[in-house]
Amino acid sequence: MNARILVVDDDPAIAEMIGIVLRAEGFEPQFAGEGQAALDLFRSGKADLVLLDLMLPGMDGIEVCAHIRAESGVPIIMLTAKGDASDVVRGLESGADDYVVKPFNPKELVARIRARLRPTLPTTSDAIGIGDLVIDVAGHEVRRGDGRINLTPLEFELLLALAAKPQQVFTREMLLEQVWGYHYKADTRLVNVHVQRLRAKVEHDPDNPRIVTTVRGVGYRAGAVT
Amino acid sequence: MRVDWRNWREWLRRLWRLWRGSLRIRTVAITVLLSAIAITAIGAYISTSVSSNLFDQRRQSVTAEAGKATTSAQNVFTQVQDLSDSTDLESVEDSATNAIQTAAPSAPLIAILRAPGQGGPSRMENRASEGFEALDLSQALSKSVLSGGSRQLSWQSIAVPNKAGGTDPGIIVGSLLDVPTAGQYQLYLVYNLSDVQQTLGFVQRTLVLGGLALVLLIGAVAYLIVRLIVGPVRLAAETSEKLAAGHLEERLRERGDDELAVLARSFNRMADSMQRQIRQLADLSRLQQRFVSDVSHELRTPLTTIRLAGDVLYDQRDTFPPATARTAELLHTQTQRFESLLADLLEMSRYDAGAVQLETDPTNLVRLVEDAIEAVAPLAEEKHTEIRLVAPGGYFEADVDARRIRRILQNLLGNAIDHGEGLPIDVYVDSDADAVAIAVRDHGIGLTQVELARVFDRFWRADPSRQRTTGGTGLGLAIALEDAAVHGGLLDVWSEKGQGSCFRLTLPRQFGALVMGSPIPMPPDEDAA
Repeated sequence: MNARILVVDDDPAIAEMIGIVLRAEGFEPQFAGEGQAALDLFRSGKADLVLLDLMLPGMDGIEVCAHIRAESGVPIIMLTAKGDASDVVRGLESGADDYVVKPFNPKELVARIRARLRPTLPTTSDAIGIGDLVIDVAGHEVRRGDGRINLTPLEFELLLALAAKPQQVFTREMLLEQVWGYHYKADTRLVNVHVQRLRAKVEHDPDNPRIVTTVRGVGYRAGAVT
Repeated sequence: MRVDWRNWREWLRRLWRLWRGSLRIRTVAITVLLSAIAITAIGAYISTSVSSNLFDQRRQSVTAEAGKATTSAQNVFTQVQDLSDSTDLESVEDSATNAIQTAAPSAPLIAILRAPGQGGPSRMENRASEGFEALDLSQALSKSVLSGGSRQLSWQSIAVPNKAGGTDPGIIVGSLLDVPTAGQYQLYLVYNLSDVQQTLGFVQRTLVLGGLALVLLIGAVAYLIVRLIVGPVRLAAETSEKLAAGHLEERLRERGDDELAVLARSFNRMADSMQRQIRQLADLSRLQQRFVSDVSHELRTPLTTIRLAGDVLYDQRDTFPPATARTAELLHTQTQRFESLLADLLEMSRYDAGAVQLETDPTNLVRLVEDAIEAVAPLAEEKHTEIRLVAPGGYFEADVDARRIRRILQNLLGNAIDHGEGLPIDVYVDSDADAVAIAVRDHGIGLTQVELARVFDRFWRADPSRQRTTGGTGLGLAIALEDAAVHGGLLDVWSEKGQGSCFRLTLPRQFGALVMGSPIPMPPDEDAA
């Protein structure tokens, strides 16, 4: 079955054009012109990925993003019309996995969507330990003792990438390539924001991280198994 | 010694700083100094005139008394003349002495001395009060006494030994006595003026104390007045500082109707007007930012659709007839050009609105330059241009907004390739204690002086007829200039027609510092390459 993609944009021309591009690539687009409609459609339509314009009439994109994220770990790619740095960060902080700046070309958009829909999971054993957590790769689960920790697919991938090579220090660029699928220099804030979000979920004390540790001036690495 | 000398100079410097730094100290010091000089002069005048008056008065009374004493002594001797020769001169002298003492009761020392160089039938013994010998009698006085007539009085000031072992000021008055049969005798009467001296001392002490008190009083008054005036001035200065620091609500208190109140009122009016204008500017800037943001959205939305549509057509151009395929190509490239033009315009207007925020990260500039060179490598290859990197310095993490610096570099490199005539391009990176610099030197056609002056102008192109490969918007250097300025850096240019051009970016090592010089000379030393 083709992946369903929810396109949320208030400009019908863009939405239609994106729809043409997506259909040509074999996706199945759904459309919503404003925030509430987007949420309704998301709940009923079971989209596999959300393309979300940040500037929406009524409920704005950031809010929609936060609502969707509260209900689901579905990949969200923001469409930002602004070059404004603060908007991108706010979007990422409210749960978006990635973003594309308008105007974009179709190949770029499709590449971003594919990267999020087909995660390049490392082929490893069934369970990997990181800190006091256990990652069940096959079950797509992270557990602390008996408790299950809810991660979005992106956060799961990020944690798994680090845990799979516990000896290695990952630079932000390496993570961008491995987790986000960027093959060129992209925005390292993507990594920073998502590491923060991940830490908020998995660390006992996010200010004093033990599971995803920072290597100053280089990047991140997995904490020792305990 | 050396240390003392240094200390002395240090003190002097400190005093000078204090003097220059405080109007209050300066005013009080000048006031005290000038009034001290005036009071000293007045005191000295009063003291001398009082002393000379006292002295004159005393001298007059002394000489009057001495005159009387001389007369009565002379009378004694004159009466004796009528007596017989056998009269005992000694007893006459006794009675003359008595007469003198009666006539001059205030003279403590009396002397009757025989005038030198005369012979006579008889001779009267010299007689002098105890202590007279010790006096320092001047030749001039005795000469004046001897040459004067019998009624003539001569005087001089003299130091009189006192009981305490010191000396008191005194007057010695001399006159000539005619002693019958014994010839001429000098009569000296010595007066002690210590009482006058005491009076004078008292007056002087009073003057000095009074003068000191007056100077202190004047100093205090000056201090108070200066405080009264400087206080508000200082307050105004502090308030201006606060205003300058951005606290636009700060105002001075307006009290009364005097000059200081006028100052306060004018100051506040100035502050009001400034605040109003700054608010207006801020509003304008906000409006501008809003506008930029709106334009950004409004233009980008249709552009996104056009871009998507154009790209879809472009990807299928192989299936179109040749004319339509070319149309799709043109649409594609011009959409891209429109897009970069829009991006540059928005960036420019963001700078104009002062709405640019830096995102600095520690960045190795040599690595950044290497990346930038790599990014333009395909273009350089197309033009058969060799790009050489010469980096003796710059291998440290500078706090810069890497995106902006990369943009500057790509712009400079693009220009150098465009105008470099295929000749090698040298890129220099070097640093010194304060700054790090990147210079891009081409050996192409170069620019004339007139062109050089316009090179950073918006939408200005060196040669409109030349084919552009980098598809510049005409805003590249203008944005690069702003990008450099927002880092506190400098972007300058050297060029000579036929010799090529060199654009040099100099950034402060510490973000926020000012760039004074540059580690790379203009044009860069080619031998270093």
